[in-house]
Amino acid sequence: MQTLIDELGRLPGIGPKSAQRIAYYLLKSPAEDANRLAGSITEAKARVTWCQRCFSIAEGELCAYCQDDRRDSTSLCVVEEPRDIVAIERTHEFNGRYHVLQGAISPIEGIGPEQLRVKELLRRVESEEVKEVILATNPNIEGEATAMYLGRLLTPLGIKVTRLASGLPVGGDLEYADEVTLGRAFEGRREVEA
Amino acid sequence: METPPGTSVARVELVDFRCYESTHLDLPSGVTVISGDNGEGKTSILEAVVWCALGRSFRGVPDAALVRAGQEEAVVRTFISAPERSRKIEVGLRRTGRNKILLDGKAVPRLRDLIGALRVTVFAPDDLALIKGGPAGRRTFIDELLTTINPRFSGVRADYEKVVRHRNALLRAGGRVNSQSDEGATLEVFNQQLVATGSELLEGRLQLLNQIFPEVQLAYRELAIEPVVLEADYVCDWATSGPNETGLSQTLTREELAKTMRAALSALAGRERERGTTLVGPHRDEWALTLAGLESRSQASQGEQRTLALALRLASHRAVAAAFGQEPVLVLDDVFSELDEYRSAALVERLAAPQTLISTAGPLPFGVEVAARVCVANATARVQ
Ligand SMILES: [Zn+2]
Repeated sequence: MQTLIDELGRLPGIGPKSAQRIAYYLLKSPAEDANRLAGSITEAKARVTWCQRCFSIAEGELCAYCQDDRRDSTSLCVVEEPRDIVAIERTHEFNGRYHVLQGAISPIEGIGPEQLRVKELLRRVESEEVKEVILATNPNIEGEATAMYLGRLLTPLGIKVTRLASGLPVGGDLEYADEVTLGRAFEGRREVEA
Repeated sequence: METPPGTSVARVELVDFRCYESTHLDLPSGVTVISGDNGEGKTSILEAVVWCALGRSFRGVPDAALVRAGQEEAVVRTFISAPERSRKIEVGLRRTGRNKILLDGKAVPRLRDLIGALRVTVFAPDDLALIKGGPAGRRTFIDELLTTINPRFSGVRADYEKVVRHRNALLRAGGRVNSQSDEGATLEVFNQQLVATGSELLEGRLQLLNQIFPEVQLAYRELAIEPVVLEADYVCDWATSGPNETGLSQTLTREELAKTMRAALSALAGRERERGTTLVGPHRDEWALTLAGLESRSQASQGEQRTLALALRLASHRAVAAAFGQEPVLVLDDVFSELDEYRSAALVERLAAPQTLISTAGPLPFGVEVAARVCVANATARVQ
């Protein structure tokens, strides 16, 4: 029982009290319900992996966006997490490809450029037909730092590098921005200075 | 004490806050006096109300210590009546985990979004530390006044503090995070952010001090028995360039301040790496106050220090009132026991607020008109 509570408590956003409540709920529910949950976790873990090209979530070698031939390969949008892609897709402002960094630069947490998919991004920019990179990291300190770092790295390569326009709530997360705000930020993106 | 119309706390409810299991008070406008035996009870009520305004205990107590013994969560609800609209703030303070804040029933994701819903001016015995203590207390005084008058700065301040923490972590790691080949690129990014947020905060502080210092001088003259010359100097020890070696002229633009910061960052780069901490920026600054040319922190008498502390609070109260056309709620925590009759009377005469909450163990100064009395005993509070 305590092992279950401890494991649940390690999940994001779940405190010790919630962990206890969920553990009791699971123990009280029928065996097939608990098995279905355990099974879906195991299955998802086995089937879902990182997309080999953009490092979003994929059920196979490539994710749905990387497989889709109708998308514009000259335009590449860099985000922190796969969930940011969902937020951007809702705006219908973007029809290019994505690149997921899997985080943002955060020295406090010991995360530097080498802990992110930065090398992979550079490789893509060099080997694919990318003409514009849109830096869509979160409008907070870590996201801005990451965008600045990438801007300095990418601008000398002779491609267009843009950053989402302000208007996004500062200090916020992309995933919580509403479609209208995020859509306008996309439309009004500005070029990054070297 | 005048009672102009304005915002007031109409009701406060406490659940498992400090010694209170469950209690509520309906408060009128005008002066409410909270009395009772010495102990936690009187100040706790003020502390709860002020938490809803500042997002922290004015006594500097961590939130976990505000939760009643044996409980997991303390709840404070304040009902604010204002000419334009009534508001409700509900705060859940957790012993472990994140606090929960609701404004008019809607979750407030960040503490700084609460700022402005309720404005208070607090006078407390600890205010003496504003003058007697280190520079950090004076910086907090300036920054809290700045964010009250111009809420944009709550974001600037939070961002700046975050950048300093990131930069310190980076400097401690020798300039690179888990990396062999960074060559200072990450540090350069955080330098840029330090300069951007730091110069904005500096500009805000300097403009605010320019604006309120005459008010501080006036308040000091009103409250002191024998006023002397009061002067102030905003000191940046890190500034290596500028009009004088360490002080910054208060008329510098943000670009000039940014330039000063950049120059200091290159001058002190070696020492920062050596010490593993950020040595440049407004988090290192001092607001030095002198009385008759002597440093008030170390060379003024306790009486003069107390007068100066009162003057800072009175000036900030007036500055906020002028900015919003409405006086903040006044909170006086056991202030009169520390003051002589002259200064008590002088203070009372100058204070104006739609609502004043006073905790006291002794009698009130002459001339205070009381609208309600609250008696605290056995962990319950009741309006008499
Ligand atoms: Zn992909």
